[in-house]
Amino acid sequence: MEVSFAMTGKGYVLLAADTTAVHSIIKVKTDVDKIKELSPHLLMAYSGEPGDTVQFAEYVERNIRLYQIRHTYPLRPPSAASWIRRSLAESLRSRNPYSVNLLLGGYDTSTYTPHLYWMDYLGTLVEVPFAAHGYGSYFALSLLDRYHDPEATVEEGLAVLRRCLDEVSKRLVVSPGKYKVKIVDKDGIREVEL
Amino acid sequence: MSIMQYNGGSVIAMVGKDCVAIASDLRLGVQSLSISSNFEKIFPVTDRLYIGLPGLASDVTTLREQFRYRVNMYTIKEEREIEPQAFAQLVSSTLYEKRFGPYFIEPVIAGMQKTPSGSYAPFIAATDLIGCLNFAKDFVVAGTASEKLFGVAEGLWEPDLEAEDLFETISQTLLNAVDRDAFSGWGAIVHVITKDKIVILSSSAFISPGLGLAS
Amino acid sequence: MPDGSFASHPQERQFNPYSENGGTILAIAGADFSVIAGDTRQSEGYSIQTRYAPKVFRLTDRAVLAVNGFAADGNMFVKKVKQRLEWYRHAHAKDMPLKAIARLIQTMLYAQRFFPYYVYNILGGIEEDGSGAVYSFDPVGSYEREACRAAGAAQSLVQPFLDNQIYFKNQLAAPNQPHPVHLPLSDVLSIVIDSFTGATERHIEVGDGLEIYVVLAHGRSVQGLEGVPGVQELTTSGEGDRVFVIRRELKKD
Repeated sequence: MEVSFAMTGKGYVLLAADTTAVHSIIKVKTDVDKIKELSPHLLMAYSGEPGDTVQFAEYVERNIRLYQIRHTYPLRPPSAASWIRRSLAESLRSRNPYSVNLLLGGYDTSTYTPHLYWMDYLGTLVEVPFAAHGYGSYFALSLLDRYHDPEATVEEGLAVLRRCLDEVSKRLVVSPGKYKVKIVDKDGIREVEL
Repeated sequence: MSIMQYNGGSVIAMVGKDCVAIASDLRLGVQSLSISSNFEKIFPVTDRLYIGLPGLASDVTTLREQFRYRVNMYTIKEEREIEPQAFAQLVSSTLYEKRFGPYFIEPVIAGMQKTPSGSYAPFIAATDLIGCLNFAKDFVVAGTASEKLFGVAEGLWEPDLEAEDLFETISQTLLNAVDRDAFSGWGAIVHVITKDKIVILSSSAFISPGLGLAS
Repeated sequence: MPDGSFASHPQERQFNPYSENGGTILAIAGADFSVIAGDTRQSEGYSIQTRYAPKVFRLTDRAVLAVNGFAADGNMFVKKVKQRLEWYRHAHAKDMPLKAIARLIQTMLYAQRFFPYYVYNILGGIEEDGSGAVYSFDPVGSYEREACRAAGAAQSLVQPFLDNQIYFKNQLAAPNQPHPVHLPLSDVLSIVIDSFTGATERHIEVGDGLEIYVVLAHGRSVQGLEGVPGVQELTTSGEGDRVFVIRRELKKD
């Protein structure tokens, strides 16, 4: 099963997503990157219906890029979130809706604040201090209620993330083995090894 | 489980003496799993007019944007602010436009309506998800805790409450109703609107009851 | 079928042994009294069967039972409880204590675990120590003692109101002035009447009439009942616990 988490910290957003691609009972790949880098300070973790996910993520990626080319500056996180939400909401009442759930993490270089958005395939958008999608949310949200600190350093944030991943490995029957973790802060995006 | 209950949430509006109040909870969930405790469902339309949009969270945002657009167009064309009565009709027609594929929202409207004499009269209204208007004289409710809100409001509300007392009445009604509803709660927000354009707003994980109006 | 055959379409018929007859009941315990109330409308769907069908029954001088849900089951259940209480009187030459009645009701309900009485019971009265008590039950006998409880069609309207007015939920007590644990009888009666007028206003299955039973612990004065119009005593001895009934009209639309 697909699992993704995200949380904010002092001046950064942390995103983690599993790296497995599954077809029925078979793990087809174990090194898939499900976190797209939409712009220099914007990350998007996506999950949901295979096919829809990559198609929609690339559609978003290219439109965000197009905006940046046209205007010479990228969309800030709140605006990007609104645009993506609208795409999903319009898709929902179309003939063939996308089933894609998203976590959007970004750093606003104008206000120097991190932003994290939880979004689902219905077009539900909400800004949150921490979030999760998939079965992992049933384990991680309670842990994050207890341990999340919006003023935490990157090291502290990663330690909390570790707790979430460990709990999922311990308690979820079909837990994924590997995760990709990315951080966005004032310096841009970077991947971290846990 | 119906779509109207999918995300949870409740809104209530009440009439007072030369004032109105509108209040909601702050929960957003996916069925029984709570996602956020800071999802606002009440939005300003003008300085004297607010709308609450309980129902499917996706449509909360969609309709909020839709209403903002239509009110802006109205303001530009008419060169004046929209009045509550006209806005209620706008809400109704916007929803009825989608009669056979509706937005899953039951809006609640509260504001101060300009009278011919130039003063302001309290105005509240609510509609169902296809825009059937209900102009009530006392209070209107909507959302997953609507039955409970009706019960408590019927017991606590009385005519001609001053702003401070109306705040206490609407807060107690909302808080006690959402405490018996699994899909609502996780904080609340109250807006009190008076004729002097003063909007008093109180938000917190839980409103401190009995302490009067916080600003 | 056009060709006159019936075999290809098996038909199913079912008898439904249950119905739902609306109405609402509630009970509130005081320090040395108990108030048990119910409306008197009995309905099925959108039709009113009668405007006066009691849902609240005096069991003994210290116990009153309110029954809500499927009226036929409710009446039969009350009949059987009364029968068991009479047997107890014959065997022990005294009335069954309230907590024993509560346990009896649990056993009687659970005995029908796989064909339940479709009723919610609320038992109110006076315990052996003289305190007011309320016991509430689900249809298969799960029960607890509480200070107040509403049940029936308008439970969701009334219970949060009671939480606020009886338990003082979401209200901060003034410094050095904690909320009272028990309210005086006159306050309780006002809250009961407000609850039912409120429920009548917003619920179509509630209305017509209101019956409020008041059980007073022995030795307690009638304080809170004096001046109440139409109050009627049901007990005759004058000593021991006393039961009174107050009847009120509710809106009939």
